[in-house]
Amino acid sequence: MRLPKFAYFAPRTVEEALNLLADHGEGARVMAGGTDVMVKMIHGLLKPTAIISLLEIEELRGIHFDAKDGLTIGATAPLADTASHPDIVKYYPALVHAIRSMANVEVRNMGTVAGNICNAAPSADTAPPLMVMNGEVNLASLKGQRRLSLNEFFRGPGVTNMIHGEILTSIHVPPPLPKSGVSYQRISARCGVDIAAVGVGVGIVLAGEACKDAKIVLGAVAPVPMRALETEELVQGRERAQELLGQAGDRAAQEARPISDMRASASWRRKMTAVLTRRALDEAFERASRR
Amino acid sequence: MKRFSIIGKDVPRTDAATKARGSAIYTDDMKLPGMLHGRLLRSPFAHALIKHIDTSKAASLPGVKCVITAEDTPKIKYGNWRLFPETQDEYALAVEKVRFIGDEVAAVCAIDKDTAEEALDLIEVEYEDLPAVFDVASSMQPGAPVIHDYCPTNISVNRKIKYGDVEKGFADSDYVREDVFTVHGVSHAYLEPCSALAQVDLDGRITLWTSTQVPYIVQCLLASTLGMRENDIRVIKPYVGGGFGGKMELRAWEFCAALMAKMTGRPVKFTLSREEEFLAGRRRHPMTIHSKVGFRKDGTLTAKDLKIRLDGGAYNAMGPTATFLCGNFGAMLYRYPNYRFHGEHVYTNKPPASAMRGFGAPQSLYATEIQMNIAAEALGIDPVDLRIKNAQVSGDEIPDVAVISSCGFVESIKAVAEMSEWKEKRKNLKPGHGIGIGCYSFISGGVFNWFNTQYPFSAAEVRVFSDGTAHLLSMASDIGQGSDTVLKQILAEELGLRMEDIRITVADTSMTPQADLGAWGSRVTLMAGNAVIDAARKIKEQIFGSVSARFNLNVIHELECKDGRVQSKVKSDYGLSFGEAVAMAQKANRGEPIVARGSYTPRDKGLVTPAFGFGAQVAEVEVDRETGLVEVKHMWTAHDCGTVINPRSVEGQLAGSIQMGLGYALSEQFVMDGGKTLNTNFADYKMPMATDMPPSDVVHIDTYEPEGPMGAKEAGEGLASPTAPAISDAVYHAVGYRCMDLPITPEKILEDLEKMSETGDKQA
Ligand SMILES: Cc1cc2nc3c(=O)[nH]c(=O)nc-3n(C[C@H](O)[C@H](O)[C@H](O)COP(=O)(O)OP(=O)(O)OC[C@H]3O[C@@H](n4cnc5c(N)ncnc54)[C@H](O)[C@@H]3O)c2cc1C
Repeated sequence: MRLPKFAYFAPRTVEEALNLLADHGEGARVMAGGTDVMVKMIHGLLKPTAIISLLEIEELRGIHFDAKDGLTIGATAPLADTASHPDIVKYYPALVHAIRSMANVEVRNMGTVAGNICNAAPSADTAPPLMVMNGEVNLASLKGQRRLSLNEFFRGPGVTNMIHGEILTSIHVPPPLPKSGVSYQRISARCGVDIAAVGVGVGIVLAGEACKDAKIVLGAVAPVPMRALETEELVQGRERAQELLGQAGDRAAQEARPISDMRASASWRRKMTAVLTRRALDEAFERASRR
Repeated sequence: MKRFSIIGKDVPRTDAATKARGSAIYTDDMKLPGMLHGRLLRSPFAHALIKHIDTSKAASLPGVKCVITAEDTPKIKYGNWRLFPETQDEYALAVEKVRFIGDEVAAVCAIDKDTAEEALDLIEVEYEDLPAVFDVASSMQPGAPVIHDYCPTNISVNRKIKYGDVEKGFADSDYVREDVFTVHGVSHAYLEPCSALAQVDLDGRITLWTSTQVPYIVQCLLASTLGMRENDIRVIKPYVGGGFGGKMELRAWEFCAALMAKMTGRPVKFTLSREEEFLAGRRRHPMTIHSKVGFRKDGTLTAKDLKIRLDGGAYNAMGPTATFLCGNFGAMLYRYPNYRFHGEHVYTNKPPASAMRGFGAPQSLYATEIQMNIAAEALGIDPVDLRIKNAQVSGDEIPDVAVISSCGFVESIKAVAEMSEWKEKRKNLKPGHGIGIGCYSFISGGVFNWFNTQYPFSAAEVRVFSDGTAHLLSMASDIGQGSDTVLKQILAEELGLRMEDIRITVADTSMTPQADLGAWGSRVTLMAGNAVIDAARKIKEQIFGSVSARFNLNVIHELECKDGRVQSKVKSDYGLSFGEAVAMAQKANRGEPIVARGSYTPRDKGLVTPAFGFGAQVAEVEVDRETGLVEVKHMWTAHDCGTVINPRSVEGQLAGSIQMGLGYALSEQFVMDGGKTLNTNFADYKMPMATDMPPSDVVHIDTYEPEGPMGAKEAGEGLASPTAPAISDAVYHAVGYRCMDLPITPEKILEDLEKMSETGDKQA
């Protein structure tokens, strides 16, 4: 496999990176851990003329949490550091679970949450939990900064609403609300390193015993991680009960738009959407009731 | 039982330190001055005529040194079954026609890999697409496209075995069971992709370093396809990162490297990519197995009628042997008083299947073992008891197949049942949990001389020196299974030396004694091991005489080599250090070095194998009824490999077998679209990983194989068979899904559970 010829840059500031990105035009790519970029390049699926590594930019590395502002994950914070950060472990267990179920130790040491989001695979494991937690991305360009909800971020497999010349600087997640619970469930045919065949994120907020707000995101069953809006509506105002779990699962399965591919058939994906939605909803209720 | 000093010890592997440090040199690590890099152009069509090839653009790309097609070759066919030349059906580069997606059409070599790769795109090939067949049933239809002109039926090998009277056996049965099983192809997925480096000297002789299991076979077939003399070709096997049967033939890149080295005068190296390995690489035979077995009420077997069709892919490769062996294995494990087998090896337009760990046994025994479990249930007999009742024992003779010398099968079944708490668990497991059993037997090397070698099957040369060291030379191939260590252990034991006293030179067809048929069929320990013992005994004869003379020993004294000394068995002070003894013998010979050559060829051992290994395995699983996912919780194994020469090596073989068996049963398969393999990387070809491995316990059953070196026989390849049936039976025990078509997938389990709940069938 022929690796294309490309220029390589490791700027030290975001501004420098943005200038390089502008200077090198459409052929330029930013790179964080490179665990998607390099694999695609080696297989000839991506032929950038310039690679701009973000790893030397000090300000992109950090992870910050405070009870008022919530969580900010810098664009180059490794997956492994994210999953072992004490505040994330405490307040965002579903994200930790999603990351720990990804890839292997080596890839988690290299890869980043930002890269996972920007790569925009329908199966990206961090997308469903971040979306149900109302995650947002901070984007920078030479024109300035903007903030975008993850709900509006994905457009198709590998395609996002970022425009060329923009860099994702961090991911922001609000602090968890009282009586809220989040769960992420994923499945694949091999227990070890494997891309998810289906992933489901559920986030709910309780008022008393009843669910006053629900967010449900299905991964790997549509061109983008998709909101299951009808299922969310169905859960709204209801209490935790076997019947509800079953109904929610069935509704999510109907909403899903899976395809058959090498990894799984559409019909199994649909069935798994039901099973995982049930399980995730149950766990979200459980977690919410404990907070 | 014999007592040993080094045999049976966890001696560290000879190759461990260098591999752990990353300093072991594999073929692709080698660089020679002026070396060129080769790449192969492969067919995008499953079946097509080659109308025209234009290589001119590729040849004129700067950096390209040579482009070849079949027109540049002598067009001589090859294949491992030299004894039957009509089975030799393959050209190094396609002549007139391609037969599968990935078939080699042309080769390029250039100053670097990228240039060679780029040149491939510049070769223009005009094809005429032909109708193709992708499964055995379509290929056997009248009027199906003919894949090889010499073989209008597409059935390239027919093998029949028959003894007793099968019809009468069935007539005398109380219970007859007939099933059709289908088993799928899987990849060897060795970690080192194939690689070959050729260099030509000024006399035109060729040296080929190659990642192979069979340096001798490559030497001979390379000679015949290039029209050269065998001994003008030297094949060297460097460190090899696994083979599992996938590297036991001459292959196109070895031929192209050699021919292009001749044409350019420069060294040429080819290394396949992982994608090529998955796209076009050899694989385990998919089979359709039609099996009918009869029993009496009390569980006694009466007859078996076995028909197997092997999906051979586009060429024979090692298919003929697999066709023979799956029939032989069909008659193993249990005493079938009447047996009939018909095997057919069928061409299809897919990548050729070939030898793969178990060589026909995993497929054949899957059917055997599942049917035993089905029958056990129908007859109301515990599967363990049904097996013990019918198990083969030492001394059993199977016409046309085998005479079984040592056999620890019954002991294996009993041991595995006990360690897994079979009886208890079979009755009282939690819902969704299940326990199942699978058994195996395997050969310790083959007898049938299909390669038609004129040399001994294995040979060894031992040189001993007055400094107390020895040099062992053997053509045997360590491909990661550990044979270098085992052969050194055997020599150390025989000569009373330590591992560090022995230098070993192996797998070099010009420097090590002719010959060795290679590392396959679990033949190396037994055959090369016996050759080493033969050579070592001849060394002892030479030095014992001098020691006897030196101490003026009575002729009735027996001498021994022990603890670095050569001494009288009864009076150890009548003796010398090994080095002193060698010095004395050498002086007695007026300076001639002390050297001996040993060999082994199985004679008077039937046509199959000199010795069989046996074993039994139990799996415990948990099945998620909602997702269909199977988790293997534990594996227990009891096996009989005769004397265990190196316990840790044998346990390593077991772990590797379980890993492969897990993949075969549950996750590995080629996803094919017609003739095209779609999952050509490890992300999509789902080989189990370290994190998928269940805990495992093992017991070695103590037997002594009279034909084996120090009592040893096959270990590790037979173990490729029991895992899939054990897991499959455990899944049945857990949720009632009986898998008749491997692999067991979550989808199949769920579908079956749905059907059962509709019909209100068996609730686990
Ligand atoms: C063996 C293996 C297993 C894997 N398993 C999983 C798995 O189980 N689940 C899963 O979801 N993924 C998996 N992946 C994919 C990958 O590891 C993840 O998507 C990872 O999070 C990517 O992060 P990265 O930093 O390496 O991204 P990179 O490869 O550096 O970048 C990915 C993409 O994002 C863009 N990008 C990166 N950072 C920015 C930024 N700050 N601003 C704008 N664009 C940016 C890049 O241009 C590129 O298009 C696996 C990969 C491998 C090799």
